[in-house]
Amino acid sequence: MNYSLNTDQKTSTRAALGKMLQFMKSEKRELFLAFFVMLLNAGITMLTPYLMGYAIDHYIAQGNYHGLAVFSGLLLVMYIIWAGTEYLQTKLMGGVGQRMLYRLRNEVFGKLQQLPVAFFNQNKTGDLISRINNDTDKVNQFFSQSLMQFVDSIFTMAGAAIFLLCINVKLGGASLLPGVLILVFVQLASGWVKKKNAASMKHTGGLSAEIQESLQNFKTIITFNRRDYFRKRFDDANAENYKAAIGAGLANNIFAPVFGLFSNIALLIVLVYGISLIAAGSFTLGLLISFVVYVQNFYMPLRQLAALWAGFQTAMAAWDRIALILEMKAPSDGAKVPELNTIKVSASLLQFSGVSFQYPDGKKVLHDINFSMEQGKTYALVGPTGGGKTTTASLIARLYDPTEGIVYLKGRNIKDYTEEERTGLIGFILQEPVLFTGTLRDNILYGNRKYQDISNEALMVLLQETGLDRLLIRFDQGLDTPVASGGEGISLGQRQLIAFIRAVLRKPALLVLDEATANIDTVTERQLQEVLQLLPPETTRVIIAHRLNTIENADEIFFVNAGTIITAGSLDNALHMLLEGKRES
Amino acid sequence: MKAPDRKSAAAGPKPSIIQLLKPYSRLILALLLFALLSNALNLVIPKIVQQGIDNYGKGVFDVKHILLSFSLAAVLIFIFMYFQSIVQTYASEKVARDLRTRLSAKISQQSYLYIQEATPGKLLTNLTSDVDAIKMFVSQAIVSIVSSIVLIIGAAVLLLQINWKLGLIVLLIIPVIALTFMFVLKKVRILFKKGQEVVDKLNKVINESILGAALIRVLNAQATEYNKFMDISKEAKSLGMSILRLFAMLIPVIVFTANMARLAVLALGGHYVISGGMTLGEFAAFNSYIAILIFPILVIGFMSNVIARASASYARIYSTLHAPDTVDGGTVSRELDGNIEVKDVSVFYGEKAALKNISFEVKAGSRTAIIGPTAAGKTQLLYLLTTLTRPKEGTICYDGIPIAEYRQESLLAQVGLAFQDSIIFNMSLRENIAFNTAVSDAAMDKAIRTAELQDFVATLPQQLDTLVSERGNSLSGGQKQRVMLARALAIEPKILLLDDFTARVDAATEEKILENVRQNYPGITLLSITQKVSSVKDFDQIILLMEGEVVASGTHTELMAACPEYVQIYDSQQSLPQDQES
Repeated sequence: MNYSLNTDQKTSTRAALGKMLQFMKSEKRELFLAFFVMLLNAGITMLTPYLMGYAIDHYIAQGNYHGLAVFSGLLLVMYIIWAGTEYLQTKLMGGVGQRMLYRLRNEVFGKLQQLPVAFFNQNKTGDLISRINNDTDKVNQFFSQSLMQFVDSIFTMAGAAIFLLCINVKLGGASLLPGVLILVFVQLASGWVKKKNAASMKHTGGLSAEIQESLQNFKTIITFNRRDYFRKRFDDANAENYKAAIGAGLANNIFAPVFGLFSNIALLIVLVYGISLIAAGSFTLGLLISFVVYVQNFYMPLRQLAALWAGFQTAMAAWDRIALILEMKAPSDGAKVPELNTIKVSASLLQFSGVSFQYPDGKKVLHDINFSMEQGKTYALVGPTGGGKTTTASLIARLYDPTEGIVYLKGRNIKDYTEEERTGLIGFILQEPVLFTGTLRDNILYGNRKYQDISNEALMVLLQETGLDRLLIRFDQGLDTPVASGGEGISLGQRQLIAFIRAVLRKPALLVLDEATANIDTVTERQLQEVLQLLPPETTRVIIAHRLNTIENADEIFFVNAGTIITAGSLDNALHMLLEGKRES
Repeated sequence: MKAPDRKSAAAGPKPSIIQLLKPYSRLILALLLFALLSNALNLVIPKIVQQGIDNYGKGVFDVKHILLSFSLAAVLIFIFMYFQSIVQTYASEKVARDLRTRLSAKISQQSYLYIQEATPGKLLTNLTSDVDAIKMFVSQAIVSIVSSIVLIIGAAVLLLQINWKLGLIVLLIIPVIALTFMFVLKKVRILFKKGQEVVDKLNKVINESILGAALIRVLNAQATEYNKFMDISKEAKSLGMSILRLFAMLIPVIVFTANMARLAVLALGGHYVISGGMTLGEFAAFNSYIAILIFPILVIGFMSNVIARASASYARIYSTLHAPDTVDGGTVSRELDGNIEVKDVSVFYGEKAALKNISFEVKAGSRTAIIGPTAAGKTQLLYLLTTLTRPKEGTICYDGIPIAEYRQESLLAQVGLAFQDSIIFNMSLRENIAFNTAVSDAAMDKAIRTAELQDFVATLPQQLDTLVSERGNSLSGGQKQRVMLARALAIEPKILLLDDFTARVDAATEEKILENVRQNYPGITLLSITQKVSSVKDFDQIILLMEGEVVASGTHTELMAACPEYVQIYDSQQSLPQDQES
């Protein structure tokens, strides 16, 4: 399955907008209300200049103080209502934006949780983080700040256009003509602008991936005298980013001058054509003054739209990058009733039947593997590095699905289990231990629903029962030792201890240790062995290790080399194979 | 790693963002010039309209003249605005690019300790979102603020010129709007700051869920992560709503105030027109200028936020740029013999001592092993020897000369360290091994053969030019570890430091590799951290390190006779007689 996000998939703005609107579905009531308020607001916004023009023509020009006073009062009332609608529409539309963003954010994160490990392996960490943090922020900025202005501007423009046409069709039509030209211009330019913005964002992601990699590996950079490496790689990424950003900036800034030019042309049309109409007697001076205001009402928001439009294009480009994640298909969660032919009557807990595995980049790692593992026994996987041990273990834990063949767990295709069932049965200690920011307690109980709220005392009792308590002396503040995800202040051996305790506490039926104790000293490792012995007798253990004394207690040893697995029989035999066997790693 | 015992905050005068712009004064001046020109011309437009209306009223309307002056103004506005947008883009991106370059140059000079203290996350923020905030300031705030001020002053002067009494009344709206803005923004800023903290928290959860993706799936903890995220996400939403409420208050107040000015113009202006103190054209112009006046006030209000954000970002960047240089300037460059002397060295991590009064010597050309339990401080020791960290107390000497007196580059060119954790860069295998560019092809070839990587390299589709990656599937754990070794050997070091390098390599390969090192690098001084007694039994010296202290040192035979802890470790590896000899 290909989960790479680096595809040049093109989506139309309309399709993207459609998907985005789905996040607004539940907001129908608010949207309806907001629509009504905006209509009212736009109506008043439009009506007041007209009233002013009327007052100028009929009262000021005529010297009628009474009428002027009445109209002033009328306007005052309208202005108060106007202020009220401004409040309501900001609150309603802003609320819709905020809630929509909330749903979007949760949806993206939820999706991220559904995707398989392969997705994370096929994409650079820095790029993923940039995509989720940076790009949702771009969408966020648009929705929390610009959406309302955007909608408001469109309403104001629509209202102004209607008034312009109502007052005088000919003059109105003429004054709107430059607006049509702007529309054409936007149509022509938008694709280009969006492309430029997408390119710029891609380079921003690349830059952040570059920084991420260099800073995380800074000690290598220092010890190998490659401070220049950081600078050079960074400078290259920085220069590329600069180029792309200039491209995007120039594209985004093209709108304002063009919009300004067209709106001035419109004003000129009104002035010249309007005066000629007055001269012909079919228009009044007061109406011309209001007309100028309406033209400004039409083109001012258009200028604002020019500024917002670039933001809109940026948000759309960002949205495309996020949508790529949302569109990824997560593997289906089993949970279906197993069909009869997929159930195999067998005593084995786990069985590989004709399993082959190939990474999406084409590298075939396992070839037609067949073996079975029984309940309560200990198995060891040995073999040269790169022979396929970790891949085999990953298939057992269903971090990947085999490209051919079936993995059976308790006689049932492992794909037919729900995640809950499967992960309850299988414990897997990964080669690279993972920590989360928090305390030692948080980390050993991570993902453990059963003991989530257990008291520290009860937890200690539990640790004593399983023989894990002795391992805590390696942590100076016991269960409360603070732990950072980067692992600062904690050694690799300690991290492996945490991962070990975490897995054993869950009491899985099948426990896989993938070089899980490689960096732990042999005395402590002895204690770990004892802990493993204390597990319930029906527990099956699968151990991958290079230290032979780690696997001496194995009931059966599999020799894994060059993508094939054979039974080694005795430990001596395994050793012999390791020494003599042809290495194809 | 040491606790931060040195304040990284830069003392001295408060950094001003204006200083940052000095080298770009020409670009900024051009920017302002174009902005001012286009804005000034924008003020002329209503004037032309007013003249047209008035002239028509007076019966002296000249279409040609109006058409000409208006078109000229419009075209010039377009040209100036266009130039402004180009200069604006270049100026802001240049400032951002140069600032990033300066930051990266500075960071690349810093010590490992500094990076750990400052945290890579914070430096990443410096280089990305902090720089973006300043970019925003350059591209939007400068022009907006200056042109807004010009527009306000210009509009005010014109208003007062037409009718000073009415003008003064209209100008009353400026303080009203300004005060409202100040009041709301003060509250909003606090919320923004909180919002940033929430975003940081969100990012942390996202990052950890990406880095720990495999574990989360193994433990079926997706729901746990989702709930963690949801809690913070909710917090972010409610903060967003609070900010929204404030703006929902702000906008109607401003709109209402502005409209009051319009009403005043209608009522009072109407009075003046009726009483003959004002022409209708002037009245129309008055209305236009109000629109021109209100907009820049709003812009200044919103831009004050951009400025606040940029100043905060610049303060953070400034403290990174002006952090004291942590790289010490030793001057000794000489060829090492390989003698190492560690004397009374202590290292603290927070309150806790990671290493306590460590002393030992390593003779040139000898082989020394460091053995000891988890969290004994073994890796710390290697970091000390490669200047990654510095001891709080005690001295470390190479050939009798303190480590601090060596030029770091010259020293590290002769000391090869194979790290315990696999660090693979996203580039070709060749670049990963010949990470230091001074490495010759012959040296790289020898390193690859010594690390027993040649067979593996031969199976790769593009051999040494194959791209490898940090997290991809291209290399197994053991292969990564051997790449780390080859990288250390490729610089042809005088001293080779191995950190638990055998942990993920099978016994047979390990045996071969150690033999290769002996043959291919004669005279090399070897200091190896290991867990396996069997592989170091014949070493010249074995140092037993426990809880940060040297418990014993000597040859295997000596330690077996004198050190019960060592015997315990030995015994723990003994149940299998074949193991040690294999």
